[in-house]
Amino acid sequence: MTPPAIAIQSLRKTYQVSQREAGTGAALRSFFRRSTKDVVAVDDISFTVQPGEIVGFLGPNGAGKTTTLKMLSGLLYPTAGECRIHGYIPSRREAAFLRQITLVMGQRNQLVWDLPAGDSFELNRAIYSIPAAEYQRTLAELTELLEIGDLIKKPVRNLSLGERMKCEVAGALLHRPSVLFLDEPTIGLDVTAQRRIREFIAAYNRRHGATLLLTSHYMADVEALAQRVVVIHHGRLLFDGRLASLVERFSPHKTITLHVEPLNGHDHDLAQYGQVIERDAVSVKLRIPKAETARITGRLLAELPVTDMTIEDPSIEEVIEQVFNAPADRPAEAQP
Amino acid sequence: MSRYLKIVALYVRLGILNELEYRANFFVQLFQSVLSLLLSLGGLSVIFSHTGTLNGWTQSELLAVAGVYFIIGGIIRLVIEPSLWRLMQDVREGTLDFKLLKPVDAQVLVSVNQVQMWKLIDIVMGLGVLAVVFAQPQMQTDPLRALFFVLALLCGGVIVYSFYLMLATISFWFVKVDNILVVFESMYEAGRYPVGIYPGWLRFTLTFLVPVAFAVTIPAEALTGRLSAEMLALGGGLALLLAVVSRLFWLYGVRNYTGASA
Repeated sequence: MTPPAIAIQSLRKTYQVSQREAGTGAALRSFFRRSTKDVVAVDDISFTVQPGEIVGFLGPNGAGKTTTLKMLSGLLYPTAGECRIHGYIPSRREAAFLRQITLVMGQRNQLVWDLPAGDSFELNRAIYSIPAAEYQRTLAELTELLEIGDLIKKPVRNLSLGERMKCEVAGALLHRPSVLFLDEPTIGLDVTAQRRIREFIAAYNRRHGATLLLTSHYMADVEALAQRVVVIHHGRLLFDGRLASLVERFSPHKTITLHVEPLNGHDHDLAQYGQVIERDAVSVKLRIPKAETARITGRLLAELPVTDMTIEDPSIEEVIEQVFNAPADRPAEAQP
Repeated sequence: MSRYLKIVALYVRLGILNELEYRANFFVQLFQSVLSLLLSLGGLSVIFSHTGTLNGWTQSELLAVAGVYFIIGGIIRLVIEPSLWRLMQDVREGTLDFKLLKPVDAQVLVSVNQVQMWKLIDIVMGLGVLAVVFAQPQMQTDPLRALFFVLALLCGGVIVYSFYLMLATISFWFVKVDNILVVFESMYEAGRYPVGIYPGWLRFTLTFLVPVAFAVTIPAEALTGRLSAEMLALGGGLALLLAVVSRLFWLYGVRNYTGASA
């Protein structure tokens, strides 16, 4: 068996954060005397990622995703536990390690705002000392895959969000990293731009066998890219496995959409069939236990004037929402 | 080493390109520099309408101080100040992460990553003032003085840079420390005149707390033949010490930043 590209063992990170209540008085008090408390951002997480694998890293805001990515890229020291990327300990930030990784953050830019992206690319070329021929080859490939041939000559400030993100991605890959940490690379982009980035990521992974750890709030990204998902919540590992088994495991439910005419007058008794998720004038959406599907469907058809009915597995979004809303044994905390 | 030179050269290039994006800025900067020079000259002419020498400095010599003040100020504003402002912004916005992830020394990146080309005007003006001063027949120059001057300038540059780096590094803990830099700027204004003319407590502050004396007065003293070899050696020692201390403080700051106080 090949050694894993990413190996995380009992990783833990505690922050000391200053806290204060809202209001001027509290702000003034905390100006002179900060009260701090320890917050566990990442709590005993372990998993491994094989070379060439794409893993979706999911969790609500503040779950500890970014903290974990920062520890993996060497920006944060773990409080306890260990992580290794191709055998390197990230927090040592050895040059040989840094050359192998890249971090793309959808909310932060590294390209110079007032200049064309191409100028920033030149800078990265010097920093990574990429030989001219190799640089030309990589740049040609990236500009073609991302369709940014003309864009890299325009000042970054004149680009749309989607165009800018494509340039950011290109800039982050010039040194051909083998491990990519993508922190919400599609955030705020329109559907088309999201799809372009997604297709690019898939193509890059196929071509170069790069290992990817990807966080996103868009399930479409995760469904399209990740064979496997790791879910964390309140800093703890909740699930590690295939996306389909996530749905099975966390949603022992089906969703039934009924068209009933007329629906009025049935309000009081709809709840006896299952949990009403949505309803409007002519239709209602119910969540029912999976095992009860046949029995409840039969009753609905017999007892209500049903004109149409569909039975579905809940969407990934719904499952994820359900997972994240589940109460945890410790309060949720904000990200650093 | 050649890689770092290349990186610096590229930042200079980016700085030039960046400023060319805003051409109007050139004229604003030119206006500002000329205004500042006129202010210096005006101040001097007021002083010398009342007295022949100021604390032993003649009019021409004080003009030389003003020239050095412009040169050093130009160097600070050309690269040190904009880069370290940018560092504080990077800390605040989290974009410092990108610099820390590069396989080169992050201190180099943050120290040169912003170049404001138009500040070259100040340096050119400062050199111009010195040229005018030393074109006068009563001002004498010799190679030793020139050597002392260059060395003192170098020490002053290192001292100011180290001092600035330490101030900016504080932002790892307090995030918003822009005001400290503003204080430094106002203190630097005092360098228009030799620090010897100020009262003792201020002289002490300008020498040891905020190293304006080492940045401006000592090079000017070298230029006018007042600087002893011992004093120059002291300046060199201080430069070396501050360079090491600021480096250690920077590394400590980065470690704290990445450790997020854990």
